[in-house]
Amino acid sequence: MDRIVVTGMGVISAIGNTVAENRASLVKGTCGLGSLEMFPSKFSTLLPVGEIKITTEALKEKLEAHERGITRTTLLALHAFKESLADSQLTSEQVSSSDTALIGASTVGGMCLTDEMHRDAQKDTPGSEYIPSYDYASISMYLQQRYSMNGPVNTINTACSSSANAIMFGARLIRNGRAKRAIVGGVDSLAKFTINGFNALHILSPDNCTPFDEDRKGLNLGEGAAFIVLEKEEDVAGKKIYASLSGYSNANDSFHASSLSDNGDGPYKAMSDALALAKLDPSQIDFINAHGTATENNDKVESIAMLRLFGKAPAFASTKANIGHTLGAAGAIEALYCILNLAEQELYPGIHFKKPITGLGLEPVQAYKKIALEHIMSNSFGFGGNCSSLIFSKA
Amino acid sequence: MFYIHQTSCISPQHTFGDADINKLAEPAEKRLQAIEPSYDAIPPGVLRRMGKVVRMGVGAAMPLLQNHPKPDGIIIGTATGGKDDCVKFLNQIIEYDEGMLTPINFVQSTPNAVASQIGLLTKNHGYNVSHLHLGLAFEFAMTDADMMLNENPLNNYLLGAVDDICTHHYYFEDKTGWYKKEDVSNKTLYETNPAATGSPGSIAGEAAAMFWVNGMEAGAVAKLQAVDTLHQADESIVKEKLQDFIEKYLPAGEKIDLLLTGENGDNRLLKYYSSCESVIKEDVTIARFKHMCGEYPTATAMGLWLCCDILQHQHIPDHMIKNAVVKSRYKNILMYNNYKGVQHSFILVSGQ
Amino acid sequence: METTELKEQLKKQIIEFLNLQSVSPADIKDDEPLFGEGLGLDSIDSIELIVLLNRVYGIVIEDPKEGRRILVDINTMADYIEKHRTK
Repeated sequence: MDRIVVTGMGVISAIGNTVAENRASLVKGTCGLGSLEMFPSKFSTLLPVGEIKITTEALKEKLEAHERGITRTTLLALHAFKESLADSQLTSEQVSSSDTALIGASTVGGMCLTDEMHRDAQKDTPGSEYIPSYDYASISMYLQQRYSMNGPVNTINTACSSSANAIMFGARLIRNGRAKRAIVGGVDSLAKFTINGFNALHILSPDNCTPFDEDRKGLNLGEGAAFIVLEKEEDVAGKKIYASLSGYSNANDSFHASSLSDNGDGPYKAMSDALALAKLDPSQIDFINAHGTATENNDKVESIAMLRLFGKAPAFASTKANIGHTLGAAGAIEALYCILNLAEQELYPGIHFKKPITGLGLEPVQAYKKIALEHIMSNSFGFGGNCSSLIFSKA
Repeated sequence: MFYIHQTSCISPQHTFGDADINKLAEPAEKRLQAIEPSYDAIPPGVLRRMGKVVRMGVGAAMPLLQNHPKPDGIIIGTATGGKDDCVKFLNQIIEYDEGMLTPINFVQSTPNAVASQIGLLTKNHGYNVSHLHLGLAFEFAMTDADMMLNENPLNNYLLGAVDDICTHHYYFEDKTGWYKKEDVSNKTLYETNPAATGSPGSIAGEAAAMFWVNGMEAGAVAKLQAVDTLHQADESIVKEKLQDFIEKYLPAGEKIDLLLTGENGDNRLLKYYSSCESVIKEDVTIARFKHMCGEYPTATAMGLWLCCDILQHQHIPDHMIKNAVVKSRYKNILMYNNYKGVQHSFILVSGQ
Repeated sequence: METTELKEQLKKQIIEFLNLQSVSPADIKDDEPLFGEGLGLDSIDSIELIVLLNRVYGIVIEDPKEGRRILVDINTMADYIEKHRTK
């Protein structure tokens, strides 16, 4: 089977506006969580969020993106997309070629404009410039137009594992000969919609989230975007290669709309299917970037599934303690962090952890480590039981 | 390339159960709304939480799931999936000023709700994904199924699409000029096409269509030869792409018997359809289907359901015909659709 | 309000709030568990019922775990409402 390699990356999150800034923050164990400042909400000082401290207007200026109806979500995506293209050194002809795919993912889309959308959804209001942007597809559509892309352009959703599936779909397009390269990733911005939604489910933490800690109180939402450029190894002679994508999977827990089964059947199947595709034994996984939302349900179930599959769990941590849960972007941002782990042969300190979960005893990596790494797994699980795992391997 | 073995469709027409597509149901209040069955196959405890789009999607999928072993995956295209619950939740946020809100609308607002509910109801742990890319959402679901079957030739997949006319979606589309301002009957929809004398917009529509697909030829209703997509505003480039598509995928020595198009009465989009019609030979029947299901992002799934019905029964209802050519047999059907003039799809379906 | 009257009203409110289409108030027994067996409600329903208690009776329950002790059956719910209602 063709080896799919990563030749470019771009990311923006609460701990940095570029790949280099994100890595520097990860090395230091920076926490990007804090008060919500970019839009008014009753919860702005009550619930910490991983917010990118650049206003939407400043993003428009910086990116020279002044089209009518453009939203913060699209701007964040553009920011990361642009960096990934520059990094991979794709020419504009290559980007617009019919064999270049763009696969995006978002769970919020233009709904970051919660109040505007509410107004536009009423019968007798005139309708704002944002109506076409509310759709999830509007982000990929914008990038397609801006870069005159003629290849397959798609938008995927599997809730909080959406962008892991965008990566997977892009890789499969290449393997099936439907694209030569794929720019894949995801984006979400903070929104009153998601803050109130997760709050209604009582799974937002009033403090900075503490993944895999006995006393965890829930998740913090975050915003961000990440895109990576996937190509076939045989096509990229001479280019720098960060890592290869050696395994991926999508499995369904089919237990409950918003929580995982006690034994973690979905997470277990996702992890073991990805290993099978990569032709790896569990013992060959050196590190897992866990889904680790810090909700009571997820961290317990994910731990159980890891113990079931690996016997003794490999080194793991959750970067959601640094940037929050970025929903549709989470799979892509965390995949990018795994690629950094491999490219730099280093592990980043998991932060905010104090006490292991009773009866499970798993402790995330808590100190920076320079270490030889061959294979790394990234887990992403979502509402509706949508569980996915990706495996990246050393270039 | 894959084979379609069984189909199911809940639409504004008589397509569910004992289908009769010769009868044409008409729109009410400028909307072609689905004729919903009683959903006896969905447990009431589950049905109570489903919004219309989830209900229609799951309802259309159930007959296929009852007649087969578990599929190896569930692949759904939807652009509006979950949106109605989104707005219901938005309304709560505003009405209760970010106060105590009920989470059910939020949980059901995720656009993967249709695919995941089907998975949950049938305890399916396999591949489960939703493609949302507006007017190409179903095309990418088909592409996904096609790749899955290339990767796993012995597998079976539930493939389908669903969109509904929820109230706010109707307002969004209406406010941005995609529905006709004047009242129009679906019997005269295409008369409003011409650029000079016609009017912009179409009729709002909705439907759910589901397909049982695999790689086995024996017993298949139809063969999905190929699907391709394009984002483009220039009709001459669209036409070139269609020519390339036919050249690449129509089996050597065979010809197109029927062109089924997504013409929808919008006078701004007629140029794309005329341009694509000009690609095919004069002895090809041309038919249309949007007067049956209205305009919505995944309408090509209804189109594919109709292709299967036509191939099975070798009959096209008169109300669909634009250019009649007497045929002894319909074998190869080419479907061309465009969504809002920027998203184009090309689908080739063949019978035995 | 009499307790029996409150219970009848509560049953109607639960049916409407949770959209229990095939259930009538007579189907819900006062001492029948609302969760698991019985009505077969789940964790999302428990949060929905906490919101119902808030909107209709002005009762604030911050911790969903506390909710589980109140939302056992119609008897426990009615009892809690009588003691804590603010409207």
